[in-house]
Amino acid sequence: MNKNKIAIVLGIVCTILTIAIVIQINTIKRTSSTVSGSSSELKDEVLKWKEKYDNAAINLENAKEELSNIRESSSKNDETASAKEREITLNNNLLGFTNLEGKGIELTVKDDPNAKSENIAPYDDISLHIVHDGDLRSIVNELKNAGAEAISINEQRIVTTTAITCIGNVIKINDEKVSSPFIIKAIGFPESLESALNRGGGYLERLNEAGIETTIKKLNKVQITKYNGVINSKYMKNIQ
Amino acid sequence: MIFISIIIGCILGALIGINIPTIPYTYTKYLAIAIIAALDSVFGGITSTLKKNFDMKIFISGFFVNAILAMLLTYLGEKLNVDIYLAAVVVFVGRMFNNLGTIRRHYVEKITTRKIIAKAEATIKQANEQK
Repeated sequence: MNKNKIAIVLGIVCTILTIAIVIQINTIKRTSSTVSGSSSELKDEVLKWKEKYDNAAINLENAKEELSNIRESSSKNDETASAKEREITLNNNLLGFTNLEGKGIELTVKDDPNAKSENIAPYDDISLHIVHDGDLRSIVNELKNAGAEAISINEQRIVTTTAITCIGNVIKINDEKVSSPFIIKAIGFPESLESALNRGGGYLERLNEAGIETTIKKLNKVQITKYNGVINSKYMKNIQ
Repeated sequence: MIFISIIIGCILGALIGINIPTIPYTYTKYLAIAIIAALDSVFGGITSTLKKNFDMKIFISGFFVNAILAMLLTYLGEKLNVDIYLAAVVVFVGRMFNNLGTIRRHYVEKITTRKIIAKAEATIKQANEQK
């Protein structure tokens, strides 16, 4: 047997083998960062479900895109249809089903970094030093009052059905868990949004007094992602 | 020559592997068992090269068929709720150790023979000089 031939075949086989090993290592590295723990069967199960969920989400995304393409192409040569199409787009923008960008602000709210049990005075309450669901609700309220057209907190779009609630040590928005630091993006007139938040006696001032860190950036282009869920209507009916 | 090509293959494989997208988590079990089967084949190949009874057909068919069979067994085990892949791991790793042992012995013997020959040559030289 020719020795060169053997060497080449062994080299090719080793290439295939190393590719497989590196892919495996990368996959394990990627997935084990999502779920950590030692109960391997539960971990397996969780990872498999997560994968199914991700696939379903991707499929949904593609289907939505296809639907909008079909709508666009069917209304291309028709005046009334394209007017309807514009109306639908506007309504979707208002409902939160589209990715938007525009002038606005980006507000970062972060738990007090100095709040540790050793440097908190005995009469001080540590819960004052962290951001609560109520704080976020008040901020969202303030932004809406100042004319914000679209708001998101940590990429969770605030839509008509959004609830901001507290579950233990994290906050739930749109049934997704979010935690500090909270990045609140709002599209609207930046000056009025900022002054509404920063006014004397306003909500941010109260948070700052408690040691919570807040920073406001006025931006010419804020990008707000769309709401990924579905808004159901089961009981409401139009009055004839 | 063989070892150089193996090292080049490994480096090339690592470079390609890093730039390739990862696979879904569900299939990692199968890939893992295939990797072990393939590793076993590679070590078997190296051993047979050293023993000078390397057969290309046996090597290549062993590489692919072992990997595929191991994956099929894992799949069957999953359906039957028996960890059959453990048996495959035991067999393949056991063979791997055998092959590694053969490779090690080959090189150790090579080095010892070389040393003995060198010693013998040195004594012959000494003897000649004394004459």
